[in-house]
Amino acid sequence: MTTSSSLSTGQTGATGLTSLSRATRRRLGQGAHPLVGKCLIALGSAAALGSTFLAWTWTTAFPGDLTVTGYPGGNQLITLFLSILTLLALAPALVPGGLPGTRWMAPRGSARLLRGLALANAASTGYVVIAIAWELGGVANYVAGTWIAGASALLAVLGAWLLPDDDHEPAPARPTPRWAQVVVVFVVVMLGLLVADFGVTTGFSEEFIGFCLGAGFAGRGLAASGLFDRFSALTAANRTATGCAVLAAAVSFVFLQSSDAYTSVADNILIFATVALGLNIVVGLAGLLDLGYVAFLGVGAYTAALVSGTAASRYAHVVLPFWAQALIGVAVSVLAGLLIGAPTLRLRGDYLAIVTLGFGEIFRITMNNLDGQSGPQVTNGAEGEYGIPDLRLFGYDFGRPHTVLGHTLGRFGNYYLLLVLVIAVVIFIFARVDDSRIGRAWAAIREDETAAEAMGVHGYRFKLLAFGLGAGLAGLAGTIQGHLTSTVTPDQYTFSSSAPPNSAFLLAAVVLGGMGTISGPLLGASLLFLIPDKLQFFHNKQLLLFGIALIVMMRLRPEGLVPDKRRRLEFHERETAAEEAYEELVADGLDGADGSDGLDELEAGARA
Amino acid sequence: MSIQPANPPASGTAPGSEPILQARGVTMRFGGLTAVDGVDLDVAGGEIVGLIGPNGAGKTTFFNCLTGLYPPTAGSITFRGQRLAPKPYRVAEAGISRTFQNIRLFPNMTALENVMVGRHCRTREGLLSAIGRGPRYRAAEREARQTARELLSFLDLDRHASAIARSLPYGDQRKLEIARALASDPGLLLLDEPAAGMNPRETLALRETIFKIRQRGLSVVVIEHDMRFIFNLCDRLVVLARGRKLTEGRPDEVRADERVIATYLGTAPGTAEQEASDAR
Amino acid sequence: MSVTVLLQLVENGLVLGAMYGLIAVGYTMVYGTIQLINFAHGEIFMLGGFGALTVYAWIPGVAHLPLLAALPLMLLGGVVVAVAAAVGAERLAYRPLRAAPRLAPLITAIGLSLALQQVVSLWYRLPGGGNAKAPVAFPSFGGKAFNLGGVLVQRADLFTVIAAAVCMAALAWFVARTRSGRAMQATAQDPDTARLMGIDPDRMIVVAFAVGAALAAVAALTQGLRYGQISFDMGFVAGLKAFTAAVLGGIGNVRGAMLGGIVLGLAEELSSGILAHFRDTAQYGQAWADVWAFVLLILVLLLRPQGLLGERVADRA
Repeated sequence: MTTSSSLSTGQTGATGLTSLSRATRRRLGQGAHPLVGKCLIALGSAAALGSTFLAWTWTTAFPGDLTVTGYPGGNQLITLFLSILTLLALAPALVPGGLPGTRWMAPRGSARLLRGLALANAASTGYVVIAIAWELGGVANYVAGTWIAGASALLAVLGAWLLPDDDHEPAPARPTPRWAQVVVVFVVVMLGLLVADFGVTTGFSEEFIGFCLGAGFAGRGLAASGLFDRFSALTAANRTATGCAVLAAAVSFVFLQSSDAYTSVADNILIFATVALGLNIVVGLAGLLDLGYVAFLGVGAYTAALVSGTAASRYAHVVLPFWAQALIGVAVSVLAGLLIGAPTLRLRGDYLAIVTLGFGEIFRITMNNLDGQSGPQVTNGAEGEYGIPDLRLFGYDFGRPHTVLGHTLGRFGNYYLLLVLVIAVVIFIFARVDDSRIGRAWAAIREDETAAEAMGVHGYRFKLLAFGLGAGLAGLAGTIQGHLTSTVTPDQYTFSSSAPPNSAFLLAAVVLGGMGTISGPLLGASLLFLIPDKLQFFHNKQLLLFGIALIVMMRLRPEGLVPDKRRRLEFHERETAAEEAYEELVADGLDGADGSDGLDELEAGARA
Repeated sequence: MSIQPANPPASGTAPGSEPILQARGVTMRFGGLTAVDGVDLDVAGGEIVGLIGPNGAGKTTFFNCLTGLYPPTAGSITFRGQRLAPKPYRVAEAGISRTFQNIRLFPNMTALENVMVGRHCRTREGLLSAIGRGPRYRAAEREARQTARELLSFLDLDRHASAIARSLPYGDQRKLEIARALASDPGLLLLDEPAAGMNPRETLALRETIFKIRQRGLSVVVIEHDMRFIFNLCDRLVVLARGRKLTEGRPDEVRADERVIATYLGTAPGTAEQEASDAR
Repeated sequence: MSVTVLLQLVENGLVLGAMYGLIAVGYTMVYGTIQLINFAHGEIFMLGGFGALTVYAWIPGVAHLPLLAALPLMLLGGVVVAVAAAVGAERLAYRPLRAAPRLAPLITAIGLSLALQQVVSLWYRLPGGGNAKAPVAFPSFGGKAFNLGGVLVQRADLFTVIAAAVCMAALAWFVARTRSGRAMQATAQDPDTARLMGIDPDRMIVVAFAVGAALAAVAALTQGLRYGQISFDMGFVAGLKAFTAAVLGGIGNVRGAMLGGIVLGLAEELSSGILAHFRDTAQYGQAWADVWAFVLLILVLLLRPQGLLGERVADRA
């Protein structure tokens, strides 16, 4: 019975398996002994692992050179890693009664974990197998290793779906000494760094897609098994240690790089993510839709550039030290934010959206026009401020390579470290303000502005505060961005263009990542930068896809990939929201329609 | 079920004690409709005043005027000798706090956070101190949390402190609104139908709570349709009908007033048919 | 500055304003019924232009007709495309979010706007194989402009003004005289009561989207005729201006939208024209026209947020 049903399932293929209904799975699971599933996973993963040491195709035409027998390369590394991970996750389950000391691996049950990992491996490996045939022209390009890899990855998925469900409420975590918790946090963060490093430094689009598929499905498995929850509880209990670990990991990224090639990518991601985080204060925390946010980045960049000593500036003779540039840049950005926000934030939120959209456009036009012909020469018009000198801080020249700890930091490496510092500051501010009187006031305004005001929250003032703070942080990022790119032109700061950061990309990063969270925009910005950067064929369709992504996300998962707990509740209270809207309508009238029992009561009272 | 035999007798304002709230000629027009028409109201310190009247009498609108939600078309509102600006947050700062007829908690915040938002206008910490977190900030935050916890236990809600407001049972949501309103250390508490949807036992407990609130030195104005509740609670009743003050006085006086009964029974000119149909 | 020059600016401003007004009606009608700023309305306008162009370029024979005879066909094409896009957007993107937090439909509208632009830019094709990545030529009236005492009135200008007048008259008749129009007003004022009275609010919302889209298509046609070209991104600035016009006139007020459009058009033309006329300020003329329009929007929001004909819009209980 087992064989016949597994045969029929096998034909549906890897993707079909995911859509197998729970009922079907249960039926299959009931028929099969749990050991069958486990053995299939073990067999499949081991075979997939072995296949990575074989050649997967004849020719070197497929990127990453998969022709070598003896050691894995290219996408085979992902398969290798995921196979090992699956086997490691499986090991405790093979021992009857579970291996002592390994229960933490799957607090909610190991079946979900194994399914996630097996699926990740199958998706990543299966993609390569298909891509080999697709790109090289048919299965004639397959060799024995290809078949083994594909079949064994599928076998593992089949085994994972034959596992009986063992979902259960997670047992409370056993108390562990503080030092052990800190060690765990550091180790996990460093592992995360290695994964992120692999993703950023993928050399060709097949490798990047394989990485995304693997990381995505594996992440889902880890989340479903409850491991993420456990880890985030750990980080919440050790916030300082987590902060240090992440900072250390971020800094050590640059020491893993042998050249500046990927450091410049990382620099751009950091700028993008910093600005997205700033936008998340405005959109996610205060609930204000700012569609011209990138203009504040531009204000900061232009202000710093104008007083940096570039020849294209009207004030070329003014050369200020960077700290002064940063201060002025932030100040001017905040001022611009207040000028835009002050008249608009008194009105309904929708007005802000359109005014900020207009502001973004006006900023671009103005920078274009201050060229000496359509206006006074200030910004050098469409050609922009070019030749912005490199930063100097405390005698440290960011333009020159420096040797630190035996590692040579190039120009982008220098900026990378500064940007890590800046994003750390922004995260610090975000976290502290969110968890304060101000953050509570924002949440209250977002949930019910009328009630918030009745409780003494000065709505307008706090919205203006959010708007100004957001503008200032973007301005700060801008002051560095100008030096990093050494040229600022008006066209860098538009609503939508093909390269990040622009306002549409920023909004997409925040919405995709998760409104109101810190890790959401970081993830969103990384994905939105890397996807067009790594996938060339995608390049001219990215705006289209981002547009569709915004629509689809709002429809299906408005809280984003990394949801904020409160946001998730807000977006999924549709019935409640409808009720409230109705109640508001009723309350807006004179008195409510309910309470009609007043008469009986009075009658009773009057008779007594 | 024991019923409080008698309320502390205090009708009108005690001689010599200034009323803490003085509303004079409060009028609110929406287009052609006059919802509140020249209503005066005095509330003495420590007094519990009931505001009653048939549906559409303008009770909630009057509350909205008092709390600055609607800027009144005419009239003045003075609280502790100061004229109130028609801005809700100013009114809250001045010391008037309220609950809503249709519960308006922050539905996705925890009970504790809800009350802490109520504490908002009694704390001053700004952006820089929230980022810097100096000793003063931490003291203020601790104080706010402490006060909020005390209020939750005052209203017997401590077990819900970290529950999402939306998930609380209905009666507890009403109580949480009161806790949130108390968090701003008000001198006057406005309760808009606090007993709506409560069962008799909860209603009784609510009455005790309101007495306890009075003992904290607060004045309370209550809108309520539950007559047994309100007659046993209030020192003084104000009856609104069609936006005007019909009468006011001690509960026994109001109970005996023909006009009040007439208004409710629907013999008052104009409202007769509507109220009669409501009665069925 | 001579009177003729001034009158010429007024003429330009009126025509420009009439076009803004036609687009603004769409913003204002949708906002009036569901309090949503439909950011994608600028793209509906753009699609109207491409719909009209498609009829002209792709249907054999239309291009050989005299332009005046081809216009009704083009108009029909534009209206069909714009209305279909607007109604489709309402049905698929906005309606499921009716009860969601405010931010959700706004973000959806942004996404829609990006996606629609890109669809045209990526896949629109002309018979010769040309694409729409760059501005595309649009048929225009030949012939000399009418000279009214020194003021030049282009043929397309005349068409714009007539089209705007006819549209507004038809709209006024629709709102005041037809069942749908009255039902729409009722829905805008109080959707719940309207529902109790047997009006289907969903239908009224669709009508609001459709009517707005139809007028936007007319506006797109006039834009094409006046400038001789259309482009996939023309909806962005036009939408921004039209929204400004709608706010200026009092959002939610249909007559206000046209009035706001005309005021905005006049303000834009006169400010940039007069600035350009004098030597000291010449450089602040045409290149800054959009900036002045935006400054006007900020000033209106600051001084009279309810607009010229509107009622209170501040967010209150």
